[in-house]
Amino acid sequence: MLSLLDLLGTIGGSILGLPGILGVTLGMTTRNWIIAMILGGVIGVLSPIILGGHHSAHVPITTLEYSVSTVIGIIAGLVGCAIRRKGAMV
Amino acid sequence: MPDNKKHGRRNILLRSWDKFWSPTGLFSTGFLLIAGFLGGILFWGGFHWSLEMTNTEEFCTSCHSMETNLGEYRQTVHYNNHSGVRAICSDCHVPHEWQYKMKAKIMAVKDVYHEVLGTINTSEKYEDRRLEMAAAVWKKMKATDSRECRNCHAFEYMDFTIQETRAAQNHQRAVDENMTCIDCHQGIAHDLAPGYLEEYQHVVETLAQSRMPETSGRVDVASIRSYLGISAD
Repeated sequence: MLSLLDLLGTIGGSILGLPGILGVTLGMTTRNWIIAMILGGVIGVLSPIILGGHHSAHVPITTLEYSVSTVIGIIAGLVGCAIRRKGAMV
Repeated sequence: MPDNKKHGRRNILLRSWDKFWSPTGLFSTGFLLIAGFLGGILFWGGFHWSLEMTNTEEFCTSCHSMETNLGEYRQTVHYNNHSGVRAICSDCHVPHEWQYKMKAKIMAVKDVYHEVLGTINTSEKYEDRRLEMAAAVWKKMKATDSRECRNCHAFEYMDFTIQETRAAQNHQRAVDENMTCIDCHQGIAHDLAPGYLEEYQHVVETLAQSRMPETSGRVDVASIRSYLGISAD
């Protein structure tokens, strides 16, 4: 069961976490929209695997968390690419 | 005249936008990189410092609504004990992991909202909502395998031989039956409302039902971690 607040929290956590920040960074490394999407998406998928869970507790990572992380990663990659295209001549 | 003003203001905004995206002829690449790096450290440090300020006991209990739970918590072993090791509000209610911490901070906006509305500003209102509020926390703890408890308490490092017999037996049972801390310790820091056991049972059943259809869609993180060689401890 998912409340709207829970969904907003998950989205916010992803934006301020690895998918958002590294997604934009990696997106800024290319002018190609597709590559930026793939780079952001890969970070979005890897992020819950690398940073999710807990050292002692068994915290299940749900499909929804993965989905939100991946979507935020893709969007962040596209934002990074847009910044590159707008702000760089190379 | 108003049109001119509007036009002039728009021009300022447009000019600022253009200037923001124009190549600079004043600074070297090295200067911009170093300035950006230092600015990043200052921004991130400030952001993190501010975030940690919201984790302090003083901040959490600065709202009138929190007086009741603060008083209850001060009667517990988590506030006062022989060793002087304490757990404050954020130790139990805010995860350590960054993305979950951010999620908790964003979700905590509802506490400010209800403080402004005065949802629990009298003891009667508080008691009316006690079970509902407790159930929300139990649900989160049950769903996360009591993650925040386990930042300090881990079965792996418990020496059952120096625990009281009853505690040792129950902890061994918890390990054997794959139970989690909140299954037994619902009232560890705050008073319990009448009918709490039935409510906790309801929380457990609701969670079990909501998880059932998702079982096939759940990602097996343990096997992926194992494949990548990342230790899960």
